[in-house]
Amino acid sequence: MKITKKYKVAILAMTLVAFAGCSHEDQPTESQLDLTKPVQSDLDKWITTNYVNPYNMKVQYKWNQNTVDFNRFLYPPQEDKVKPVLEIIQKIWLDSYKVIAGADFVKKIAPREIVMVGGVNRNTTGTITLGLAEGGQRVTLFETDYVDKTDRENVKQFIHTIQHEYIHILNQTKPYDENSLAKITPSGYTANWYASGDAVANEEGFITAYARSNINEDFAEMASIMLINSKEEYEAILAGIESEEAVAAIKSKEAIVVKYFKEAFNIDFYALRDEADKNTTAVVNGN
Amino acid sequence: MKIKNIFKFLIFALLAMQLGSCNDNTDAEQKFDQNPTDRLNAQKKELSDVLLTSEHGWKAVYFTDNTQLGGFTHLFKFSSDGKVEMASDFDGDTDAYESAYSVELGSAVSLLFTTKNRIHLLSDSDNSPTDALEGKGYKGDFQFLYYGQENGEIIFKTNRSFQELRFVKATEEDWENLAQNVIMGENVVGGEERPLFRLLETNDGTTTHQFDFIFSEAPRFASANSIETGYAVSYNMGIAYTPTGISVSPAVEVKGQKLTDFVYNDTDGSFTATGTGGVSATIKYTTKPLILTDDYKGLLDGNDFKVYGYISPFLTNAITTSTLCKELLDEINASLPATQQLTRVQLYFNDGGYNYIEYRFSGGRPTLYHNVTTSENAVDKTIVLTHDSWQTATALIPAPALLKKIDDEFTNPKGLYVKKENFKVVYSNVVWTFTSASSNFRITTYALN
Repeated sequence: MKITKKYKVAILAMTLVAFAGCSHEDQPTESQLDLTKPVQSDLDKWITTNYVNPYNMKVQYKWNQNTVDFNRFLYPPQEDKVKPVLEIIQKIWLDSYKVIAGADFVKKIAPREIVMVGGVNRNTTGTITLGLAEGGQRVTLFETDYVDKTDRENVKQFIHTIQHEYIHILNQTKPYDENSLAKITPSGYTANWYASGDAVANEEGFITAYARSNINEDFAEMASIMLINSKEEYEAILAGIESEEAVAAIKSKEAIVVKYFKEAFNIDFYALRDEADKNTTAVVNGN
Repeated sequence: MKIKNIFKFLIFALLAMQLGSCNDNTDAEQKFDQNPTDRLNAQKKELSDVLLTSEHGWKAVYFTDNTQLGGFTHLFKFSSDGKVEMASDFDGDTDAYESAYSVELGSAVSLLFTTKNRIHLLSDSDNSPTDALEGKGYKGDFQFLYYGQENGEIIFKTNRSFQELRFVKATEEDWENLAQNVIMGENVVGGEERPLFRLLETNDGTTTHQFDFIFSEAPRFASANSIETGYAVSYNMGIAYTPTGISVSPAVEVKGQKLTDFVYNDTDGSFTATGTGGVSATIKYTTKPLILTDDYKGLLDGNDFKVYGYISPFLTNAITTSTLCKELLDEINASLPATQQLTRVQLYFNDGGYNYIEYRFSGGRPTLYHNVTTSENAVDKTIVLTHDSWQTATALIPAPALLKKIDDEFTNPKGLYVKKENFKVVYSNVVWTFTSASSNFRITTYALN
């Protein structure tokens, strides 16, 4: 036996010892953590049927400090307001995309988690944050306690948040034509967007004041404002703008949005808008 | 050494190490009988169980930040199915409501109120009692870290600010009497029939000290500053309402004794906390300002032109605008057509030698002027306004019935206490108050020139 062979045998033996050495140890027993499933309330079951199963989307309405900004003074929703709010989201957002873009569209590109916060998220500057989309994975909706499904403007404002955040998520999946959008109103963007209102922004070629914050928000605002308004309501906004250049700028942005939906997802954006409008009317009328 | 030997030694050493590693000797000293997970689980069970033990649930008086806010009493009744009945004296609604709670396992065991109920009213970024707290609500938490039990009380620390909060066993009376806290709150604010001025008087058994006492209702916070020169002591305190009076945090410390519980006396509206050996503290009313200022002197004849304006709505709810003043203003507005309001009441001193009160309206109603003369009441340190004539911009008119009541306050024969205040309301203008020496009328104004 050559010396190298001898060592090979020795090493083999050592390896065996190494593996066998610990075999007498206790095997892991059951987890010491409480892994029993919490009792599902009727609301939890409803969420499983309508959100978790069809869309693989978790809805968190009970407070979890890890999913909400620890430094903010926010609170969880009132329990009896949760289902009505989720029904509105289901009808106006999910069902509209389902009809126009196909049953699996939202399922494939969707936030995996919706976090509901009952109260207003007021910043120390006095502005209010209506929603957040984090990494395309989680959408946080604020003010869910204030949703009143009989009030069209209230419903529109609430749905605006999720439509807006979902546009961000779509953008994170497939980019839009940033270069073209950036050229339309290049000098209008400002970090101080909240210093003036929507009317001022309209005259500068932006659909809302918040659209002025940067081009990503401009795109999301442009698309979401169109999705929460009917054709007539949207046209009325444009008709109220005095500056013809501003109207032309907004129309160019509209064209970029429509083109994006067609080319990236093969969705007829106007049909989506009409479907959302139809569903909004149905919600407000209590259907 | 030959290479062969080196290998031999190495393999021997490795073998020895391997065999040694299986030694089942982990006798690092055990500080606890159980491992950390077991201990956390035990704590979780302990907290879950203790929450259910009190027949009438638990009571917590929650001072969220006793440097600027008062205390809010909450009652809880926990059920084993994860539901909790809760009531609070945050506002007039002291009914109990149901929501969910859970005992959470994190780095520590905590009690979390998972869906909205009364305690969350303290954590509403959209409802802050003062401008300084914009976006922070009442700074309340609703997740409390469990720190054990003591004398039948559960000790928690708040999740964010890490302050101690104790849950004490509630009684049936606590639930029945919670609504009385709200009524007591009105006594702390002070009824309109009570005098406008208040003081805190401490007694250490031999000496008394007086402090100018001011209470703000929304934050439930009071400040009391010494009025004696050379005695620079202040007591600032958060106030919680109880059925029999108030409890304060931090305590009013007199001669080393910490006084926290004050008992209300409905006869004179006072609140008294009693210690031992003659030590006490009393919050009580007085008809005169504690400090009489000379601020009125600059308004007497021969001084510079000065204008002070009450401007609606900014000054309507200033804490120095008295209830009587608001009532008189409301009365005037109620008797005007819907499109018209009394928007300003301005006091002009030494305007080209003239003194007058200007009443300005919205909705096209003409402005009215009450020309007065001024004199000094040096004893009471007041300025007395005496009637001369009424006019519009162009013509003399008889005294308007609409303004009689409020105007009588300005021209009361005992005069007006004048005080330059050290706080601001909405705008940066200096605030001055004018207080009747013979009634509970006090109006808040901006210095306008």
